Amino acid sequence: MPASMRPGRRREVLVAHALLAPALLLVLGVLAYPVAWEAWISLTSFAARAERPAFVGLANYRAMLADPFFWRALATTVVYFAATTAAKLALGLAMALLLARPARGRALVFLAVFLPWAYPGGVTVVAWYWMLNPPLITSYSVPVGNLKHAVDGLLGGGAYAFASVMLFNIWRGASFTAVFLLAGLNAIPTELFEYARLEERSAWRRFRHVTVPLLRPFLALAVFLSFTGAFADLANVWMLTGGRIVFPVIGTYAYWLGVRSGDLAAAAAWSLSLVPLLALALVVLFRWFDPPREEPA
Amino acid sequence: MAQVLMKDLNKKYDEVHAVKDVNLHIRDKEFIVLVGPSGCGKSTTLRMVAGLEEITSGEIVIGDRVVNDLPPKDRDIAMVFQNYALYPHMTVYDNMAFGLKMRKFPRAEIEKRVREAAEILGIQDLLKRKPRQLSGGQRQRVAVGRAIVRHPQVFLFDEPLSNLDAKLRVQMRVELKRLHDRLETTAIYVTHDQVEAMTLGDRVVVMKDGWVQQVGEPLELYSRPANRFVAGFIGSPAMNFVDVAIAESNGALWAETPGLRIRVPGEQSERLRRYAGQRVTLGVRPEDLRVATTADPPEYAFDSVVEVVEPLGAEMLLDVRAGAHGMVVRVDPSVRVKVHEKVRLALDPARLHFFDLATEAAI
Repeated sequence: MPASMRPGRRREVLVAHALLAPALLLVLGVLAYPVAWEAWISLTSFAARAERPAFVGLANYRAMLADPFFWRALATTVVYFAATTAAKLALGLAMALLLARPARGRALVFLAVFLPWAYPGGVTVVAWYWMLNPPLITSYSVPVGNLKHAVDGLLGGGAYAFASVMLFNIWRGASFTAVFLLAGLNAIPTELFEYARLEERSAWRRFRHVTVPLLRPFLALAVFLSFTGAFADLANVWMLTGGRIVFPVIGTYAYWLGVRSGDLAAAAAWSLSLVPLLALALVVLFRWFDPPREEPA
Repeated sequence: MAQVLMKDLNKKYDEVHAVKDVNLHIRDKEFIVLVGPSGCGKSTTLRMVAGLEEITSGEIVIGDRVVNDLPPKDRDIAMVFQNYALYPHMTVYDNMAFGLKMRKFPRAEIEKRVREAAEILGIQDLLKRKPRQLSGGQRQRVAVGRAIVRHPQVFLFDEPLSNLDAKLRVQMRVELKRLHDRLETTAIYVTHDQVEAMTLGDRVVVMKDGWVQQVGEPLELYSRPANRFVAGFIGSPAMNFVDVAIAESNGALWAETPGLRIRVPGEQSERLRRYAGQRVTLGVRPEDLRVATTADPPEYAFDSVVEVVEPLGAEMLLDVRAGAHGMVVRVDPSVRVKVHEKVRLALDPARLHFFDLATEAAI
């Protein structure tokens, strides 16, 4: 603080710092510290059973990259992300476009669309689990059991569980995507769509040349949310597969390593392996989908 | 070359009857303005011409085609929206080219038309910019340019100047008029601003509650309003209205109310005779009132008290009270009056308006 500063001004600066302090503490304590700590232990031999963790440099990362299981988990994660994101965007956009037009009973349809997202995940995941893996012998469980065996027989063990995880993610995420994109659509002035109607009859071409470009920032954000969701999706995968993970995603395997096996350092390395990917995705998405800037006129 | 016909045009929503039995014949090359307060049905009418609203009943003809069932794109119209409706993700050039691209015009033709329109509007240097980099006036020009490049049979304007500040609005108003003179394309223009309507329109259509109140040339609406609504809507400050009793005395008709006793001029007394003993509304425009001189006949003069003086530079407005009636008077700024002062006013007998109290129609 320069000495020439008048006392009133100095007080204002102090007050500003004081007001910022809680937010700063929150960011440092809840975000920066854990991440930094995780980054640090990934460079050590930190483990549940280790007496004294030693600094091991990049050994954990080297081991991870040499592990064929890692590449399989990464591939699974990418497939999981790509397939669910594509499906969520398609379904979500379709639902948003349908809901954007005024119609009788729209509020009820909106509620139905929103419900999968609004309902507690823990409850719905159990419902899905029972639906896909009926716990009791009924006339329903027979065809579902047959389906499970058919899918697993065709695509290998665990395929049914993996498909059910994707299905659940799409079911829940499409709901969120629809509501999100509907908000985006509603934020676009109606004249922009009306003008397109004056110039083009084909709904498909209007969609391609006007709706999609106008929705681009919202689509980008939806993709990003789906992206982070898929990479960090632990609970749903875990609960739907009961931990019997044949197709692990990075998140579940990191959990397995850290919590089940106590190999915390390796688990940290696994989780952090996603950070460069996420950062890259973020950069690419925001390059592609130039976010709207406020008008300087 | 296109005329536009509206025949018994109606628009009903679930609860609202927005446009009622509109019949209009818009001539080729005519600039017609639909004007009225919000909710009067003017925009809905325009949007039915554009094809953005379905027609409940009636018929719209553009050129010699009934367009009721034609999609907007095939109606050969171009519309300018109040909010300009420019695409934020496209450059000015692409915005202007959009309609032509969608219609699969050859690239060279698109380029030629866009350059031509840009030149007319003086926006050649802005073609590579995005709308967000433009000022309100520039956006407005792009929106107009987007309509021009289409070479449509009819231009539709939906309150195109309402989002501009007052100064720019006046400037763009002149430019639009010049543009119409140059392009000679039939234009339908919707506004709530009676000044825009009067200055731009070859003819003006005044609407209220879905009904057409009057169709006429601007000065016709001003000097011979069909009813009390049009009389009050056209002209600024608005016409003064006073409810008066019509009384006959010594063969002459008098319009009377406490504080005011005006002789009904000869040419109007024929029509007013049947109202003798009844009440009617007397209308007199602020500009048809003046400070009386001794030369003014007493039967067209009355006393008033000045309540507010509004000096506007080129003119001065006096809010006065005559008996129980408030009135606005437009006088020369050189007139020396003070608030609370008594002033004797005279009115122009040739410019009095009378309206039926019940139907509000001009008598």
